Amino acid sequence: MKTPVLTFILIILAHIASAQVFFTKNAKVSFFSETPVQNIEANNNTVSSLINTASDSVLVKIKNTAFTFKNALMQDHFNENYMESSKYPVSIFRGKINQKPDYSKNGSYHVTATGRMFIHGVEKMVTIAGTLNIKDNELNLTSEFTIKLADYNISIPKLVFNKIAEEVKVSFNGSYSKKT
Amino acid sequence: MGKCRCTQQLNLIVQMKYLFLFLFSVPLIARSQDEMSLLGSSDTTKDYVTATFKGSHIINFQSVEVLGKRSLEFMIQHRFGDINGGANSLFGLDDGASIRFGLSYSNNGRLEFGIGRTNIDKLVDGYLKYKLLRQTMQHGMPVSVTLFGSTYYTLMKDPNKEANGFDKYHYASDRLAYTLQAIVARKFSDKLSLQLSPTYIHYNLVDRITDKNNVWALGSAFRYKFTNRMAVTVEYGWKYKSYTESKYYNTLGIGWEIETGGHVFQMFITNSTGIADPQFIPHTSTSWKDGGIRLGFNISRLFNL
Repeated sequence: MKTPVLTFILIILAHIASAQVFFTKNAKVSFFSETPVQNIEANNNTVSSLINTASDSVLVKIKNTAFTFKNALMQDHFNENYMESSKYPVSIFRGKINQKPDYSKNGSYHVTATGRMFIHGVEKMVTIAGTLNIKDNELNLTSEFTIKLADYNISIPKLVFNKIAEEVKVSFNGSYSKKT
Repeated sequence: MGKCRCTQQLNLIVQMKYLFLFLFSVPLIARSQDEMSLLGSSDTTKDYVTATFKGSHIINFQSVEVLGKRSLEFMIQHRFGDINGGANSLFGLDDGASIRFGLSYSNNGRLEFGIGRTNIDKLVDGYLKYKLLRQTMQHGMPVSVTLFGSTYYTLMKDPNKEANGFDKYHYASDRLAYTLQAIVARKFSDKLSLQLSPTYIHYNLVDRITDKNNVWALGSAFRYKFTNRMAVTVEYGWKYKSYTESKYYNTLGIGWEIETGGHVFQMFITNSTGIADPQFIPHTSTSWKDGGIRLGFNISRLFNL
């Protein structure tokens, strides 16, 4: 007899808790490819991301054409030949933070997030490590990880194989505020 | 009888409970979809179409592309002799007929300036190219428009000076010619781009009394990309309004281009020997029908300063 009432209350509670969404549309993602011949670096400062503290879920959406390179030709090639941005305009990470941190306590926490990474038409299950800083209702999430280009069908032609690294270092930095 | 009804009532309550649960959890399931759309709605950056063409030239015609920020381009344009020379002249490869070296630079990625020199007529040129309008991915601007203006100065000495008793280039201004072009292009898809360029050419000095100093023409070009890095190109120029009594043909070129790293290689067949606009657009003297066509190539190398 108590079960339906309890279930009812729990569901209501879940709804209230789900209002805890932290949001940013200026997270920064940059990647760095290092080879003895040439280094390639790109920055994207308009990345959208949200953290839902009720479900510990993290969502990151990156517009591929918003990566800026110092070298204009590199930017063109990135969009035309490697990322093929006209076919795949966005890259997405959809995952859950494994540690279930207490979002009301200020502090710096090492976290890992497991989820699906979608780049260049390929979706992979990945686990990424990062640091979650909580301070007075503002969250900051930073992370550094590597991406193997071949895992996402990004092919490097033989002619330029020594100019582009097979594994690229990616760094993420997002400062979130509560969505009103 | 009573027992039966009780069971029925209990079943109904159970069903109601599940219905309730279902109704309340539907929004929970739907939320991850809502969250995604939350991220999408923040997209406000305007998306410009890039790389309508791979290089700064189609074959002879300028393309709508302007160099990127702080980019320096070095370009070699070369055309061989007539193919109808036959195997004896290795189908024109023996005769290196015309060549132009060019150097161009853009600082902000919208205004480009450059200089060059063609061996035919010993023509030195200086030009400005300005990206006026950029095509956008979604609604907004359907085409890209680039303005091109160039000045040409011939360093030739008049070969008939002694015979005629006067120098045809008596004034320095006699050596000048100008070109103005508005290049309008649209990238229809990843593979297909089209371009039209209404052109105005002015010669300060013309060879014959029956030649006019002004020429109007319409250039057109088309590119089909069949792999990420390779494309087929075609260009054609219509001359309108008669400007001379001599016989000249419209320029037509068909080419293949490949882009690797910082180079663009273009290989083509064209009936024009001249490379500069005042040469190849109005003064192409050989035609495809007579086999007056030639092999040529453009090589461009890009540096980022």
